[in-house]
Amino acid sequence: MEHAGAGPAWALALEHSALGETLRQALWLYPAANVLHVLAVVAMVGSIFAFDLRIMGVARSLPVAALARLLLPIAAGGFAVAVVTGALLFTADATAVWNNPVFVYKLVLIGLGLANIVVFHLIPWRRVARWDADVPSPAPAVAGAFVSAGVWTATATLGRLIAYF
Amino acid sequence: MTLSRSCMTLGAVAALGVLAAAPAALAHHGWGSYDSTALTTLDGTVQSVSFSNPHASIQLEAQGKTWYIVLAPPSRMTTRGLPDGTFRQGQTISLDGYVHKNDPAELRAERIRVDGKSVELR
Repeated sequence: MEHAGAGPAWALALEHSALGETLRQALWLYPAANVLHVLAVVAMVGSIFAFDLRIMGVARSLPVAALARLLLPIAAGGFAVAVVTGALLFTADATAVWNNPVFVYKLVLIGLGLANIVVFHLIPWRRVARWDADVPSPAPAVAGAFVSAGVWTATATLGRLIAYF
Repeated sequence: MTLSRSCMTLGAVAALGVLAAAPAALAHHGWGSYDSTALTTLDGTVQSVSFSNPHASIQLEAQGKTWYIVLAPPSRMTTRGLPDGTFRQGQTISLDGYVHKNDPAELRAERIRVDGKSVELR
């Protein structure tokens, strides 16, 4: 519990840094970071999910590469904002959040999601011209889309649950 | 595999992980962590105040022990009329709230009486 707060030295140092102090003391900075974090996650997970659905076979007439030019920058931008705002939220309450297993599981899922993105771009994406539109996506791409949809949904779910454990 | 089946599988894995973590987790924020069947009233003396995010808190001396009182976020405290500086060390205050199910010295305040006014926190 926070009032019995103890944790690794790096988390304590982060929490007691000037930035951590500012986030706890400033009236609206923490809620603002919280709101931005949610908006970033919405943009990211929403665009990823839409892209995954297309790979799975929904709206097959839409060219995958063209759709990627719209959705992937939104996902990447959302991820960047989510990382920055998430780091701010973490700094304010580092030891308590680090001691929360739900947060650690969320970090593991983010790792899985990022690894899935790398694999997707290294393998099926190289030949995207062959399955760009009006044909079924190759099995590895579809598998990646399922992993992606599941992992990022679970990540957002665990993120919301941090406050409840 | 179908879309719903894959998502359900992954969702179940995540849910199982959360359930496995639950006993070890230091349950804190959820309303379910507090016994809302019995409203407890404390009259006590403020030992120290933390007016900080994600929520303010007070160490309160009452009923012969030191309580950890969970309050609202500083922004809400301020808009409800309890800005920073309202609580001072040694001050006598009264509050109603719910005791934590696993920690008999932690209470989530629903209502505070201080300086002659009563403020709802929820």
